[in-house]
Amino acid sequence: MRTLEEAKKAVIEDFSMYDEWLDKYEYLIDLGKNLEPYPEDKKTDDKLIKGCQSRVWLDSKVEEGKIFFSADSDAIITKGIISLLISVYSGREPKEIANDDFGFIGEIGLKENLSPTRANGLVSMIAKIKELASETASMAADEVLTAEDAKALAPLYDNVVLALKQVYDPEIPVNIYDLGLIYELIINKKHEAFIKMTFTAPTCPMADEVLAQVKECVADVPGITGCEVELTFEPPWDQSMLSDEARVELGLD
Amino acid sequence: MRIQDIRKMFPALSQTVYGKPLVYFDNAATAQRPESVVRKMESLALGTNANIHRAVHKLASEATEEYESTRDVVREYINAESRQEVVFTSGTTASINLVAFSFGEVFVGEGDEIIVSEEEHHSNIVPWQMLCQRKKATLKVLRVDDEGHLKINDLTTLITSRTKIVAVTHISNVLGIINPVKEIVNICHSKGCPVLIDGAQGIVHQKVDVQDLDCDFYAFSGHKIYAATGTGVLYGKKKWLEQMVPYQGGGEMIETVKFSGTTYAPLPGKFEAGTQNINAVPTLKPAIEFMKLLEDGELRREMGEVEERFFASLRMTGSKVFGVPRGTERKIPLCSFTVGGAHHEDIALILDKMGIAVRSGQMCAEPLMDRFGVTGMLRVSLAPYNTVEEVEYFEKALDKAIKMLV
Repeated sequence: MRTLEEAKKAVIEDFSMYDEWLDKYEYLIDLGKNLEPYPEDKKTDDKLIKGCQSRVWLDSKVEEGKIFFSADSDAIITKGIISLLISVYSGREPKEIANDDFGFIGEIGLKENLSPTRANGLVSMIAKIKELASETASMAADEVLTAEDAKALAPLYDNVVLALKQVYDPEIPVNIYDLGLIYELIINKKHEAFIKMTFTAPTCPMADEVLAQVKECVADVPGITGCEVELTFEPPWDQSMLSDEARVELGLD
Repeated sequence: MRIQDIRKMFPALSQTVYGKPLVYFDNAATAQRPESVVRKMESLALGTNANIHRAVHKLASEATEEYESTRDVVREYINAESRQEVVFTSGTTASINLVAFSFGEVFVGEGDEIIVSEEEHHSNIVPWQMLCQRKKATLKVLRVDDEGHLKINDLTTLITSRTKIVAVTHISNVLGIINPVKEIVNICHSKGCPVLIDGAQGIVHQKVDVQDLDCDFYAFSGHKIYAATGTGVLYGKKKWLEQMVPYQGGGEMIETVKFSGTTYAPLPGKFEAGTQNINAVPTLKPAIEFMKLLEDGELRREMGEVEERFFASLRMTGSKVFGVPRGTERKIPLCSFTVGGAHHEDIALILDKMGIAVRSGQMCAEPLMDRFGVTGMLRVSLAPYNTVEEVEYFEKALDKAIKMLV
């Protein structure tokens, strides 16, 4: 894979091939048309980037420490612009993106040549990419916690667990925590909680309600400033994940 | 008089953008200013600059004369009965807010109703919503049909004994159809309900006679009829203005001030608190003079040709135009439209690079966008200085943009 600097240089070179702005738009339109399809069910309000005249959705996922972006827009030039950003930034380490100044946008003169609303949109897209990257970076295991931080976080973990114990899978009389549905719980220095969880089966009809309930319960814990819940089925849940209490409750022992 | 003669009066039109001649087609947002208006701004700023009404010195009396004679010119132009019925504001928005507050404070109470139409600009919706919130009143909506006409037959049932005012636009800034405001006023008055007309677009394209219309309030902006920005007018019938409470307190709007109580200045001063936009309001004089030039028959015919060519160009590019005139109804040279398969913003952006200024988005009329199920539209609005050549160039440019995008 190209380095970030190489990727930027390639975009700058591509852009400099065209003298006329109409040709540059053609280039962006092409990029937009060739952007990988974005899942319809991810076109939700929380993925929308604010500050654009057209609608732009941006999503990210992390794989092996690298952050990957996907996006869509109902306007094709905007889609081209976000596609260009994705081509440069997707698949890189979150930290590298979080620390980047996005100065190459200035070098290709993109922002100056957009209408004010679209220029604002571009600024918002960059801000969102940086925000997602720094969120991920701060979640990363190498976040350095001082003794003070750890002391402040300890009671929060306890209280979040208590909150999670209030949430039940509607079909099983055991709370989701003791059921072993919570795979990961991370609270960062900004006191934002990140939860990775699963369901007993991928076909759980109440999944959306339970996820919403988890988010709400955790966000309500005093001191917690935000909550993100990620659903995973890797590894799939099995009975060995039940807590001892749950085994007793379900009469398995 | 010909379009080219009009065009020469506007220095801004001879500029280029991105190396291409400017084609200014966003006139409904704001018009360009003729040289006479710019000269007036200049002479007010460089010469006749003193605060009005107060001091005895020469400059102050000249500035006061400039300002107050403008009121006479406006009164005559809209045929108001008295100069006391002409209040200067910063624009249509301020005029409507003034009524929503000052009229609402006196006449609207809990459980009362206010009616606006579905095709209103946000400026003729939000001030009434705020009033309703403040007074626990209800905002009711007069709907628009599929072709963009107000369903005025619904008005008779929509108005009840609790309806305190109907606020409706003369010409929608999206649909460009001239609403039958006189008929609307008649219906409302027969139910004992006063009417405010948002004339932001109406005054640009119609000769307005407020006595003939018999409307209770008429609000408009200066900058759309070629005067300076930050100028506007609220026409209000004296019987209402007299009963309404002031909108803002301050200098100039008072008669006497004591800590035991203050009495207010007579109309229209009661509604003009503080230092007014004294360097800009007098530009309404050359602007109205210019508006009168546009009544020339020869010019009208030529403008009519440009309009026809413009409507035809949209048909030729297969655009879907919102607001379809019926029978003898006239549509002003303002069209909002969408192009299948292309986003309004993309088209506006490409046209911009070809030197053409058009508007894209919701046009400050989100409820109307929802009504037609679109996220936005493109809008082209012509002024008397726009030429057939510009329209032809626009048609080619729009065609090219569509080919690039679809």
